[in-house]
Amino acid sequence: MSLQPVDFNLLIGATQWVIVFGSFIGVFLLVAMATSFPMYGLAGPGRVVAGALHGLGEFLSPSPRRVYAIAMLTYKESIRKKALLVFVVFAVLFMFASWFLANPSDRPDMQVRNYVAFVFIAINMLVLPVVLLLSCWGLPEDIRIRSLHTVVTKPVRRNEVVLGRILGFASVGTLILLIMSTVGYVWIQRQVSSDVDLFCRVPVYGDVTMIDRTGNPGLGVNVGDIDETRSFIEGGTRAAGVWTFPLNEKADTIRLESRFEAFRTFKGNMDRSLRVRYVLVNEAKSLRVPLPTFEVDEFGTNETEVARKQTWTDEQTLKTNEVDIYDDLAVTSDKGTYGALVVHVQCLDRSQYLGVSQGDFFIRLPDRSFATGYIKAVIGVWLKILVIVMAGVTASCFVKWPVATLLSFSVIVIGQVARGFLDKILSGKQAGGGAAESVYRLLTHMNDTATLPENPLTSTLQLFDHGLQHGLWMVKFMIPDLTSFGMSDWVARGFDVPWQGVMLPSLAVTFGYFLPCLLLGYFSLSLRELEAK
Amino acid sequence: MSDEPVIQIRNLTKTYRDFWGRKKVQALNSLSLDVKKGEVFGLLGPNGSGKTTTMKLLLGLLFPTEGEISILGKPASDVSKNERIGYLPEESYLYRFLNAEETLDFYGRLFDITAEQRRRKTEELIEMVGLQQARRRQLKEYSKGMTRRIGLAQALINDPDLVLLDEPTSGLDPLGTRDMKDLILQLRDQGKTVVMCSHLLADVQDVCDRIAILYGGELKELGRVDDLLKEQKETQFITSELSDDAVAEIKAVLQKHNASLKSCGQPTSSLEELFLRTVQRSKDRPGQRYVPTAESGADSTSDASPSEETAESSS
Repeated sequence: MSLQPVDFNLLIGATQWVIVFGSFIGVFLLVAMATSFPMYGLAGPGRVVAGALHGLGEFLSPSPRRVYAIAMLTYKESIRKKALLVFVVFAVLFMFASWFLANPSDRPDMQVRNYVAFVFIAINMLVLPVVLLLSCWGLPEDIRIRSLHTVVTKPVRRNEVVLGRILGFASVGTLILLIMSTVGYVWIQRQVSSDVDLFCRVPVYGDVTMIDRTGNPGLGVNVGDIDETRSFIEGGTRAAGVWTFPLNEKADTIRLESRFEAFRTFKGNMDRSLRVRYVLVNEAKSLRVPLPTFEVDEFGTNETEVARKQTWTDEQTLKTNEVDIYDDLAVTSDKGTYGALVVHVQCLDRSQYLGVSQGDFFIRLPDRSFATGYIKAVIGVWLKILVIVMAGVTASCFVKWPVATLLSFSVIVIGQVARGFLDKILSGKQAGGGAAESVYRLLTHMNDTATLPENPLTSTLQLFDHGLQHGLWMVKFMIPDLTSFGMSDWVARGFDVPWQGVMLPSLAVTFGYFLPCLLLGYFSLSLRELEAK
Repeated sequence: MSDEPVIQIRNLTKTYRDFWGRKKVQALNSLSLDVKKGEVFGLLGPNGSGKTTTMKLLLGLLFPTEGEISILGKPASDVSKNERIGYLPEESYLYRFLNAEETLDFYGRLFDITAEQRRRKTEELIEMVGLQQARRRQLKEYSKGMTRRIGLAQALINDPDLVLLDEPTSGLDPLGTRDMKDLILQLRDQGKTVVMCSHLLADVQDVCDRIAILYGGELKELGRVDDLLKEQKETQFITSELSDDAVAEIKAVLQKHNASLKSCGQPTSSLEELFLRTVQRSKDRPGQRYVPTAESGADSTSDASPSEETAESSS
């Protein structure tokens, strides 16, 4: 399975953030005003607004010295409470890991993949639970033993407490991560055979569309592959996959790399693999430049060097022509500085199929060092630490530590694992309908693909599900999308971590949750009686 | 002491409610009182009378159900008022993993005090509370008395105008208690206002200018200690030692004026005074110890060198 590029637009993300965040604040204020009526009568809403403005004033003027003091206190607390014992487990893991992971018969890229994956799994498994527990325990324990009373009876704003706690726990997580990742890097360098080059490929992904067997735009063939992102090009027909790559820099050669899958309907020629051809196309200028045919490496990568100046023979006129990729073949595009290169991928073997997905084919820019990709992957873990700390500290501002731990853990798991499921339900593509419809189907022993009978009951249930869907939509935005945080996959597979599709969304999610978490934590602590019995 | 009120409490009521909003306990009921600038004010009452609740309401750790609090001219919910307040909680809820220096440095930072001032203030306070020898030990290794001392030091780190002390002498030995009381009086002499709550009546009597007695969340007495304790229908003389004849003459004079003598004899000092005197004497003369005399049954003190004392103990 290839890594798929993610299209992320920061402007759209930021707009969505403003809408959701603004809506939550609006709902919160409305609820607060409504509940203030029974307590304070007509003066209630005024008090709410005055309280909110006072809170905002406090919120916007934190003292760096106080925040630093609380952060340092948190750091010392964690260290002196033996958080660093996690290194004992880490050391034991790394002492014996090579016994189980080392396999000289593995291909070099598989060796690297195993080692990198192991290092990051170990780091994730050790660091994330530690910071989760620390951040969920800290404040509730402080409140329980009343140490916080000696802090909040000083001129300390509640947002300074929350911010200091977040920074303190984040610094503990950062320290642990730095040490572990450094050890992990050295370990990988020592484990990988000396003849294996460690590097990070830099891919430029393109948009992909499909042409069907008649030569018209359409869909690829579905052969029942478990990877739903992959379509199949029918061989020996006009079917093709069409990639449009942005051209952002000029070079004398363009390196194309692909990793396709073959699906055979008959054995065919056992001595060779499927034959594939790239065709560089500029429809506007009626240019179609075929590149030499090659046999696809089904379990490896196919690399093709394309010279900037291409000489080709027109099959009809038999005239030899020379074209320049940037001057003649590049098509107009907003995405690339020098336009875009359109490449058609065709399978030449009749009745055989070539499996392709967007991430299978890319322009490979000059490689970067392994360390570059490794550091980016470490940043991915670090961002995850920040999100966990923010979730943990915020939750611990209004519930006790066991509930805070469970809540934060659930948020993280849903954000990482169940995000796709949430999207599927919200898109309405989930078979069996929503919660109420599913219950109906269960009780009536109805298959989830059967059409629901039309009657008042089912209409009511669907209406109820529709309402729930709106609620779920809000929940979706409350839960951080952590799917792009797993940057180590890219490094393990020998790629650099893309900025636009992976790093930028991860950074956006982390910073997007910072302000709401801080605000929620501040108001939770401010509106709470710390000494309540 | 001036008439300027530092704390104004008006109709303060606090009701603790359960999760469902049902009334659980009425901790305070319509409390109104003022604390004036420069006085030592004592909140007295048995357990559960509302002393600590009042203190926590003043500090904003609890929110009043009804009523208003003005403290240093600001509402209790205003965090900025804490810049001029020092608070010693009932138990010393300090961070046990810090040592004395780190503790004071931490709380100093919370007041936005500069590094140089923090260092200076830390030195001063550690010396004042007598923790020079234990300044680098983590608080978890401290005895209760030492914890109270460092608790007091953190309460004074910002040189506060108003000091709130919750059970300040709790857990202290008589020497520590005396030091604490001296310190409270010293703070008053510096023009600071001190509010303390305690159920150790002797301590309150020794240091407080005015007291409020709470019972069941309600204010039962409020006034100057001297005024409240004065017995209006009795007269007390304390003289130098008199002979039996002189005492008889005085009794006769009293009879002549239709006054009855309720007690007559040598006054006794308090146990605290005896204890402090003994400790002071021991410091002045380290070799002196108590030796019971078996024959007469009387007690006496004698001087012995430390080496003799050790020898006796081991034998």
